[in-house]
Amino acid sequence: MPYKLFDVSKPIPERKEHTYVKHCNDPEDCIPKCNSKTIPGSMTERGCAFAGAKGVITGAIKDVAHVVHSPIGCTMYGYGSKRYPTTTELPDGSEFPVKDFNIKYIIGTDLQESDVVFGGMKKLRQAVRETNKEFPFVNAIYLYATCTTGLIGDDMDAAAKEMEEEIGKPVIAFNAPGFAGSTQSKGHQIGNDTLFAKIVGTTEPPATTPYDINFIGEYNIDGDLWLLKEYFNEIGINILSTFTGDCCHNELGWMHRAKLSVVRCQRSSTYIAKMIEEKYGVPYIKTDFFSTEYCAENLRTVAKFFGLEDKAEEVIAKRMAKVGPELDFYREKLTGKKVFIFSGGPKSYHLSIPLHNELGLETTGVSSMFEHEDGFEKMKDRVKEGALVIDDPNTLELEELIEDYDIDLILGGVKEKYLVHKLGIPSLLIHSYENGPYMGFEGFLNLARDMYSAIYNPVWNILEFQETEDPDVADVTGEAAEEVEK
Amino acid sequence: MHHDKKVTEIHHDKKFSVVNPSKMCQPMGAVQALLGLKNSMPLIHGSQGCSTYMRFQLTRHFREPIEVASTSMNEKTVIYGGEYNLMKALKNITEKQSPSIIAVASSCLTETIGDDMAGIIRKFEDANPDKELPVIVPISTPSYTESHVEGYNRTIKALVENLTTLTAPNGKVNIITGFLSPADVGEVKEILNDLNLEGIILTDTSENLDAPLSESALNLYDGGTTVGQLEDTANSLGTIALSKHADSAGEFLEKKFGIKLISGPLPLGLENTDSFIRSACQLADLEIPENIEKDRGRLMDAMVDAHSYNYHRKMAIFGDPDFVSSMTRFTSEMGMIPTVVCTGAKSKRFTEDIETISKEKECSPVTLAGGDLYDMHEAIKKVGADILIGNSYGASIADEENIPLFRAGFPIFDRLGAQRISTLGYRGGIDFVDRLTNTILDFYYDEAGYEIVEEEDMIIEDQKFAEEEI
Repeated sequence: MPYKLFDVSKPIPERKEHTYVKHCNDPEDCIPKCNSKTIPGSMTERGCAFAGAKGVITGAIKDVAHVVHSPIGCTMYGYGSKRYPTTTELPDGSEFPVKDFNIKYIIGTDLQESDVVFGGMKKLRQAVRETNKEFPFVNAIYLYATCTTGLIGDDMDAAAKEMEEEIGKPVIAFNAPGFAGSTQSKGHQIGNDTLFAKIVGTTEPPATTPYDINFIGEYNIDGDLWLLKEYFNEIGINILSTFTGDCCHNELGWMHRAKLSVVRCQRSSTYIAKMIEEKYGVPYIKTDFFSTEYCAENLRTVAKFFGLEDKAEEVIAKRMAKVGPELDFYREKLTGKKVFIFSGGPKSYHLSIPLHNELGLETTGVSSMFEHEDGFEKMKDRVKEGALVIDDPNTLELEELIEDYDIDLILGGVKEKYLVHKLGIPSLLIHSYENGPYMGFEGFLNLARDMYSAIYNPVWNILEFQETEDPDVADVTGEAAEEVEK
Repeated sequence: MHHDKKVTEIHHDKKFSVVNPSKMCQPMGAVQALLGLKNSMPLIHGSQGCSTYMRFQLTRHFREPIEVASTSMNEKTVIYGGEYNLMKALKNITEKQSPSIIAVASSCLTETIGDDMAGIIRKFEDANPDKELPVIVPISTPSYTESHVEGYNRTIKALVENLTTLTAPNGKVNIITGFLSPADVGEVKEILNDLNLEGIILTDTSENLDAPLSESALNLYDGGTTVGQLEDTANSLGTIALSKHADSAGEFLEKKFGIKLISGPLPLGLENTDSFIRSACQLADLEIPENIEKDRGRLMDAMVDAHSYNYHRKMAIFGDPDFVSSMTRFTSEMGMIPTVVCTGAKSKRFTEDIETISKEKECSPVTLAGGDLYDMHEAIKKVGADILIGNSYGASIADEENIPLFRAGFPIFDRLGAQRISTLGYRGGIDFVDRLTNTILDFYYDEAGYEIVEEEDMIIEDQKFAEEEI
């Protein structure tokens, strides 16, 4: 049977179809059930659509004010939560006055009971006016619906339109209330759809080159973008727009002027690349910049599109000379270690092969909170016989698999990290990194170094209290001997 | 130094929006309270983002595993009501986690659609007559009223109201802590121990949220207050609510069972700790033991030792209302000047406390009750501060104003050891005085022990002089 029910999940038999054990002869459509509504009380790790829209897609944009139309909770939890650093540089050469403005400020309507009863539209409009007054330098204002405002039926689009006319700068509403869809993935999609419908095609770039790309689905987690941008620049490729790492509002408006869209996070942003292709004829390619092999391969692909293969080879050779020897050291140390990848989405298929090919790690299993069928197919293809492929695993299942599969390292999020540590197993933050960036050549070296330091933390060797300092003496006492055998 | 006896309140033009909030929603307060219950499972009846966001905030603060269940409401269930999801979640949690208690907190979503949680829970219990079910307590915590402070209050009240049973006097004292660091809860327990007085701690996070690296720490909230202790609260000598904003359970016990309630202040600082010791001794008719007197003496000693460094330093303080008002008093006791005090909750008790302290200590801080961090920052720009006390969200303000941030409160996600920040009681006070003063020494004094503020001014003067010469 290709599907597995964890012992801890026996009371919830529905969990079985979400956990697939890979057998190479299984038909192609054998994947875990995914992107379906969450089982109540199953201790899901998933987030909501608002988190997907604001937290993932728009939260990286540097020059807009984010107004969350909500009771205080959603505003507070959307405040500075993701590591999306931004600079003050704008494409027209001017400076935005605040560095990391997207992380430092959040605005909310702090809805009260009377607003729930009588509607919150007036408050929303006032909040936009105040935002424009307090932050006159922002280039657009984004409004977010939440569970409450979705339910009371506040017409966000109408408010946005009205306020846009009044204040004379773009005001855009994102209708991704928390209860929409099964996971945060719905919020990604709404974010894409809204930005495409409202912004793309509305502005023109200050200058263009024959080598312009859209870099889509790259959010600059811990500086990923800045590293990859160096490679592109050296090859001679110009990032005209980034969707949305360290980008500005206007930049999204001229995405239709690029020659090629390069899609990095395929789950959260293939939508907009497709729409731009359909409407404006800009082709897109799906790429992957995790690990030296994938990074090199994908740089070659992008460079080939522009006839810049030779330049790409130079960049690749230079970077490999820089990181290669150190990676050899880590491969020696990490070979044979077993890893489980507990990611939000695509990292579960980006990492399994490179971790094996380049660092010698075995991927015992992969999982995702919000991937869809296409992502799970890739995940399945890229792991070995017997590996687990799980949709929306919970912490009890994680505990069981750590014990049953003798895992050496978990790549996961902060919600799992400390649980894993209690089991005596190291864990690395893969959503927002420990000491990133993790993408690109130097980034993969950072990842290898962080994995090495997590696994070889000397504390793991001294977890057990030794009754006596001499192990020979310990052997004589029955209990200690049993302990050693274990 | 100001000698106005009136508290200055700032009113901004900004009236409809909140920028960088200094409060969270009621369900978060509920979860904060529930994390101190033994073998319990908090369940948020709402969309799954609520529990995920809360787990994210709590886990990065405590660096401990945090479990919060969700009924995962979606579009369809929003239309038909949340009965199916809540029943299903109760079943799954009961069978999978087998907790002793499930506390169900509502959210803005389920309050808006008007789900009758108590009714659904009864239906679930009626449908499972043969099963051994956990105790299930509903708590109404709509996010669109008040803040996490009230969510905490309502949760303790709901637990006591639903569970307490009059049996025989137990000679104990109920302590409602409010949301404190595990170290501070631990200190309260130590003080009771010193007094030889048994307490029922509502709720006791000291073990769950500062757990050792051990597999046993994964048993569902292994330490903490038990259902039995909650039941026993009606038999106590009295209730002391350390947080004036979390005393509703105490009011309930006083009204219904005649259990005396003493509400606040938070034992933070010399005078407030004196109040707490007095209250506890009064309730149990005790003498103050010698070791407590010695600790008090040590705190005074620490305050005197520190005084030349922190005298007349300006303080800006933000966080939960009881924390801010007690910290205002404490830093005033140390000879510092509170210039801006800010709490996100609108609270009359808070403003009254600040007024009293301002009169007694002859200070006049800008007081923001129901304020946000943006307003606080504007106030700091106007009246100045040498040091900011509050959570990690103050870091960018401190950075911009070039002053140190002394981290206390919740959440603290950019430094280690939030669970071990100790401020309560005489011993916590000593720790605080030392660490705060050392922060001042690090920032305002050079390696030889000289204050560097003037030197900086001199450099600026020199530059001006040089520029003029050119």
